Amino acid sequence: MLKKGDLFLIAAIVGIVALSYVGMQLVGLAKGDVHRIAVIKKEDKEIKRIDLDTVEAPYKITLSGAYNEVILVEKGRIRFDEADCPDKVCVKTGWLSKRGDAAVCIPDRTMIKIEGNSGEVDSVTF
Amino acid sequence: MKNVKHLVFLAVLVAQAMVLSVIESWLPVPQVIPGVKLGLANIITLVVLVFFGFRDALIVVFVRCFLASVFSGGILGFAFSISGGILSTIVMALIYLRFKKSFSLLGISIAGAVAHNIGQLGAASFVMKELAVMSYLPILLISGIIMGCFVGLCSGLLVQSLKKTNYFKLENRG
Repeated sequence: MLKKGDLFLIAAIVGIVALSYVGMQLVGLAKGDVHRIAVIKKEDKEIKRIDLDTVEAPYKITLSGAYNEVILVEKGRIRFDEADCPDKVCVKTGWLSKRGDAAVCIPDRTMIKIEGNSGEVDSVTF
Repeated sequence: MKNVKHLVFLAVLVAQAMVLSVIESWLPVPQVIPGVKLGLANIITLVVLVFFGFRDALIVVFVRCFLASVFSGGILGFAFSISGGILSTIVMALIYLRFKKSFSLLGISIAGAVAHNIGQLGAASFVMKELAVMSYLPILLISGIIMGCFVGLCSGLLVQSLKKTNYFKLENRG
């Protein structure tokens, strides 16, 4: 039942995924001394920036709005811990720890993403 | 709409697509990965595409998304399902009508699933005004292949059996 085009299509998609995965790893690894900054946004507004590398003890942030979310911050990583939105995609995304990682709560328009240190040059050397 | 029979067929198919979505929400299987859905309603889209053509497939997808959002999703849900649904229907129709020789329903369904995910993520990044949403894309592409295979197999079997009945007249469109 499979035809040539099907196999080509599957191969192409797998290739794209593999490439993007490698790319994300490179972005995450590049310049290991750069601090990872977690940016929390709600309804297009940035509400908090956390330097994940300087977090000492774990703590929680509670956001309220149309839905409520609890964000858990630990040294080097951050996640949506609880949410009362219907789909809970944000919670299932799990821990974010690498640059370029992101978790999104669409119903509430809330997201966490991890950036490198702002203000420093974002150059990548191989 | 040319005649009542045609209209009724499309209405029944829309109803079936909605029932499939409900059944899908009962299945616990794909809940492990964020945002991943089986996309059973796509079986109906494919069947409409094969038996009735592009225009009717678009209509069925539009009506299904509209009704689904009336019953559960709300306006935001409608925006997401319609952007995914329309994009996937266009992609599947393009492949089915132009490249039928080199693609089976399986491949068409995979392309549709992937296009659906891309459309939804596009809408999501637009709503969030944030490109980082696209970091979900790799996992959704892989799940698109798997779910697309399953949906494609089901559609293939369904189309085969439907062709044996004489309910649908294939000679209307390619």
